[in-house]
Amino acid sequence: MLKIIIPTIMLIPLTWMSKPNMIWINTTTYGLLISLISLFYLNQPNDNTLNSSLMFFSDSLSAPLLALTTWLLPLMLMASQHHLSKEPLTRKKLYISMLILLQLFLIMTFTASELIFFYILFEATLIPTLIIITRWGNQTERLNAGLYFLFYTLMGSLPLLVALLYIHNFMGSLNFLMIQYWIQPLPNSWSNIFLWLACMMAFMVKMPLYGLHLWLPKAHVEAPIAGSMVLAAVLLKLGGYGMMRITTLLNPLTNFMAYPFMMLSLWGMIMTSSICLRQTDLKSLIAYSSVSHMALVIVAVLIQTPWSYMGATALMIAHGLTSSMLFCLANSNYERIHSRTMVLARGLQTLLPLMAAWWLLASLTNLALPPTINLIGELFVVMSSFSWSNTTIILMGINIIITALYSLYMLITTQRGKYSHHIKNIKPSFTRENALMTLHLLPLLLLSLNPKIILGPIY
Amino acid sequence: MLRTASWPRWGRTLLARGLGSRRGGSAPDQNGKVSEIKKKIQSVLPGGAWNPLYDTSYLPPEHSDVVIVGGGVIGLSVAYWLKRLEKPRGAIRVLVYSRASTVLSVGGIRQQFSVPENIQLSLFSIEFLRNINEYLAVVDDPPLDIQFNPSGYLLLASEKGAALMESNVKVQRQEGAKVCLMSPEQLRNKFPWINTEGVALASYGMEHEGWFDPWCLLQGLRRKVQSMGVLFCHGEVTRFISSSNHMETRSGEEVTLKRIHEVHVKVDHSLEYQPVECAIVINAAGAWSGQIAQLAGIGKGPPGTLQGTKLPVEPRKRYVYVWHCPQGPGLETPFVIDPSGVYFRREGLGNNYLGGCSPTEEEEPDPGNLEVDHDFFQDKVWPSLAQRVPAFETLKARSSWAGYYDYNTFDQNGVVGPHPLVINMYFATGFSGHGLQQAPAVGRAVAEMVLQGHFQTIDLSPFLFSRFYLGEKVQEHNIV
Repeated sequence: MLKIIIPTIMLIPLTWMSKPNMIWINTTTYGLLISLISLFYLNQPNDNTLNSSLMFFSDSLSAPLLALTTWLLPLMLMASQHHLSKEPLTRKKLYISMLILLQLFLIMTFTASELIFFYILFEATLIPTLIIITRWGNQTERLNAGLYFLFYTLMGSLPLLVALLYIHNFMGSLNFLMIQYWIQPLPNSWSNIFLWLACMMAFMVKMPLYGLHLWLPKAHVEAPIAGSMVLAAVLLKLGGYGMMRITTLLNPLTNFMAYPFMMLSLWGMIMTSSICLRQTDLKSLIAYSSVSHMALVIVAVLIQTPWSYMGATALMIAHGLTSSMLFCLANSNYERIHSRTMVLARGLQTLLPLMAAWWLLASLTNLALPPTINLIGELFVVMSSFSWSNTTIILMGINIIITALYSLYMLITTQRGKYSHHIKNIKPSFTRENALMTLHLLPLLLLSLNPKIILGPIY
Repeated sequence: MLRTASWPRWGRTLLARGLGSRRGGSAPDQNGKVSEIKKKIQSVLPGGAWNPLYDTSYLPPEHSDVVIVGGGVIGLSVAYWLKRLEKPRGAIRVLVYSRASTVLSVGGIRQQFSVPENIQLSLFSIEFLRNINEYLAVVDDPPLDIQFNPSGYLLLASEKGAALMESNVKVQRQEGAKVCLMSPEQLRNKFPWINTEGVALASYGMEHEGWFDPWCLLQGLRRKVQSMGVLFCHGEVTRFISSSNHMETRSGEEVTLKRIHEVHVKVDHSLEYQPVECAIVINAAGAWSGQIAQLAGIGKGPPGTLQGTKLPVEPRKRYVYVWHCPQGPGLETPFVIDPSGVYFRREGLGNNYLGGCSPTEEEEPDPGNLEVDHDFFQDKVWPSLAQRVPAFETLKARSSWAGYYDYNTFDQNGVVGPHPLVINMYFATGFSGHGLQQAPAVGRAVAEMVLQGHFQTIDLSPFLFSRFYLGEKVQEHNIV
């Protein structure tokens, strides 16, 4: 693992010591190289874990997420180039350092083998994200957004710290590899119920669960593009990953403790999808669609069946790439028109046809078109929830329809129709933007050829 | 941490109070302190408006979708219709409030124009004004009373203008205005106080014409528009930050298209300004639209080309005089417009009248200030008034004021629609004295242009900016 971590740490001196006209090129290229290294970890020959050291390991669940994280850094850097072009040099370097720091913490989080280590890094990822949102966001509301983001996550994760310390005391070690062999079924008592809640709430807030999702639209909308990308693609998956790891400790309480959260997720899925239909702000629409997709992941993780775990993992990777791509597209709109309202920028297909192609593909993957991995994830989740309870198929079906509705609504409003008069002279798509979209789309489409990489440890 | 920093401050004041005076009355102080603490806590919690750095509530926001420069009736009308016609969405608008001429207007509304589009605009506006409480209703606020006096307009024409008036009335009737032509004989019968010497023909608007209170309309619009979520701010636009693109038209010639990215709004009495990032700018600045257009770079180029075509709107000062005349015409006096250009109307129920005259080109007053020239009344207005209405020989001038026309020097008709080169600037200005009566309809037209890309209800394509370059005048003959 050090072969990824040390290069990532060294990216920081790279930004500070590069020549001013080379900072973007250097960091993006080396970021891509680091992501190529992380691809090696995807080769998991058995369902055991690949242990690098006492502190780091990777298995088929964390390897795809690791690859996603490292892949995303160069993409974030490419996306941020335009809106940072007018800032002074030091501020640009600071921004890049924040992104690299965040990347570092995320890599270590996904590969941490000890739960306290995981927790420390889980909390540490909040700091660079908060700095990026509040310092480089666009509107005055970003202060509020940062506050919501920070305090929701902190409130949720403080009980987790207490629970982890208790479990460490009780079991002697929190090393994940040992836990697998030492766990005993958790007897049903009030204190164990609170233990379950304490362990799960942090990840529920992070996912986010429907009732605790208020921070997400604010943070996503107010963050600059790199912030939105990393939030949507990776930080949300921290919650899913954490839930999948920690539910091994919490059986059999999960069987009945999961009910309220299942209800909230199933209902929240439909609610947030419906909100998407009425959104006028483009980024807000994508943010709510993230909540909707993550609700599916929560349902899958709480059911705890093999197929649902496969679906959850696939959905996390697929959603990461799709959501990040949608945010990049929305940002390319915003940089030209300086407004996020959908209705003010209509009919872009006539003006920017190649970008319209990326919009089409991103919307199609968002609505889970076969044979993309989005569909595989959703389908596995739907099937396993059907076997858990037959009635959920109705809710899942309604959600799929509404997802299709709002994805197409977004596509048609921004791309089709006659263009509005005041966007006649927008700059044509830059090669950088087209490269960005391609780099998002290529993994997504290639994975549909070989999805078993991302189907997780149960496959 | 900041809250604890404020505790010692309180402690010190409490101590000072204790040392200074030990009288009774500490109980209300305690209550005051408690409510202060409560207010502070509430403002810090999420949802409150606490800014830890400094209070910037007087500044406009940093970002807005549409910025409307000009807070008079036209700007407010555009804001109202934009909010009303949008498929529900939360596009924010910011109004930059500059000095508005609206409340200085005489407040008349008529359909007796010669250009059909003007007639249609007035017809819609009168329908808006008649149903103003359905359009501008705000929950929990009292209904509006714009004091519409439907007394009609009476345009008098001499021999020379009689034929023109007949053709105008035909156009008006085609559009749906109810106007009747009167001979001098009929005039004397209906209005015995008129001296019909020199009058060959008169056109009298029988319905939907009259005058109303412009201040009330402005207040009603402002209230409604604020309730719909439009943001107001006071300030002055000092700069536009824009970017240009060199593009080629289909015929191969090069054009430079500009796009405004930011509007710098300067706060009054201070050097502070706020850059407002915006997608669309609407120039409804009335008499100052020409300056705003120059800031955006309209007109910078060799004259005769599209780049070099300026916005030909300039402020023109017009005087309005109020006089008292007990023997004057009665309560059914319409808004009379003399062939010499003098106009007057009844004001209130106490035998007061107000009126004025548009000066000729040579005697244009200096628009630098709003000082009233009383000699103008004595020399130009009173003689014509006295000649037309003999009872006005014994009038006594009461007061007067001056206001600006946003005078379109090209053809005295409004400019509506986008600019061909500065892509995201829309105009709604240049109405040369009849802006107030067309404001609701113009607002709707501009909103349709912004939201749908073309005029839907009333086609105002003759009023687009490109006519200045192409030289197509839309000459309005019935301008006061």
